[in-house]
Amino acid sequence: MGEVMETRHRRRGVLARAALAGILAASCLGASATEGSAAPDFALSSTAGANYRLSEYRGEVVALVFWASWCGDCRRELERFERLRRTYGSVGLTVLGVNLDKEPQQAAALAGAAGIGFPVLIDAGKDVSRTYHADDLPLIVLIDRHGAIRARHRALDERDERGLLVDLRDLIDE
Amino acid sequence: MKSALISFLAALAVSFPALADEAAAPAAPSEERSALDAEVQALRREVVDLNRDLFMLEEDLLFPASTQVAVFVSMDVGSFFALDSVQLKVDDKEVANYLYTEREQQALVRGGVQRLWLGNLKAGEHEVTAFFTGQGPHARDYKRGTTLKVEKGVGAKYVELRISDKVAQLQPEFVVKVWE
Repeated sequence: MGEVMETRHRRRGVLARAALAGILAASCLGASATEGSAAPDFALSSTAGANYRLSEYRGEVVALVFWASWCGDCRRELERFERLRRTYGSVGLTVLGVNLDKEPQQAAALAGAAGIGFPVLIDAGKDVSRTYHADDLPLIVLIDRHGAIRARHRALDERDERGLLVDLRDLIDE
Repeated sequence: MKSALISFLAALAVSFPALADEAAAPAAPSEERSALDAEVQALRREVVDLNRDLFMLEEDLLFPASTQVAVFVSMDVGSFFALDSVQLKVDDKEVANYLYTEREQQALVRGGVQRLWLGNLKAGEHEVTAFFTGQGPHARDYKRGTTLKVEKGVGAKYVELRISDKVAQLQPEFVVKVWE
């Protein structure tokens, strides 16, 4: 009995030390938006007026599409993700567009013209795009059902699109 | 940080070397397996307890009672106001700016209380200002501010920002209450 207690005590000590190391590591690293790390949470308003928080979509596969009206390739990606949303939306894919325009009206006009049905979130302050390192548009970030970043894609050609579809189907099947 | 810690501890529990060796043993008899299950469960319980202890320890260290001030948001009914965001300033410095989703707003309407900010303030008088934005009666954009002078003593201070309905005027009401 004493031996069991001692083992537990020792194990608890190991856990405590490991946990403290974890706290220190986590505080040193801060929020990062690289593949494999937890997707930093954010809340933004949409062009329709409603607010969205990323963490509310835990349990679903989320595709964040960073775009701006002045970016040539972005409209193609918006249309692509609208098609993907219609195909995979019923099996757990959520698409959130994050727009970097200073004027939300421009984003709303372009999204309307492209027939976008997913929420377009306004990141006029660029805080979210900075956190996700969206320095080159368009940027697509795929987040798994546990809230971890699993893939990042730039503007896609045909071969890249196949890679994206494979990533997406794998995430949905998990 | 807390969720990262929980994941870290969970991963640690799963990959505990002694248990991993035992788990790798081929065709363990059922008694050994159930003993192993019990041990894993006990270990998981310990991880949960340890996580709770660490959380409390972290709060005590970062926000000791002598300097702790917490600001909470609550809603009573909320028929005349749809909350969109709250900006909180302490001594004219912005300390929190929170955007509410529909789900969060519903949670507040159902009686939930949100801790908007937890921080440290030295003893003395402080000014707490909150700006509420949202939609008021007839779906009109609505912004209202409320200010309170708080006297911080030696104990922890809790401030509640409550949004309630003023039925007589068909308007929302913003009340600040200090709990000792």
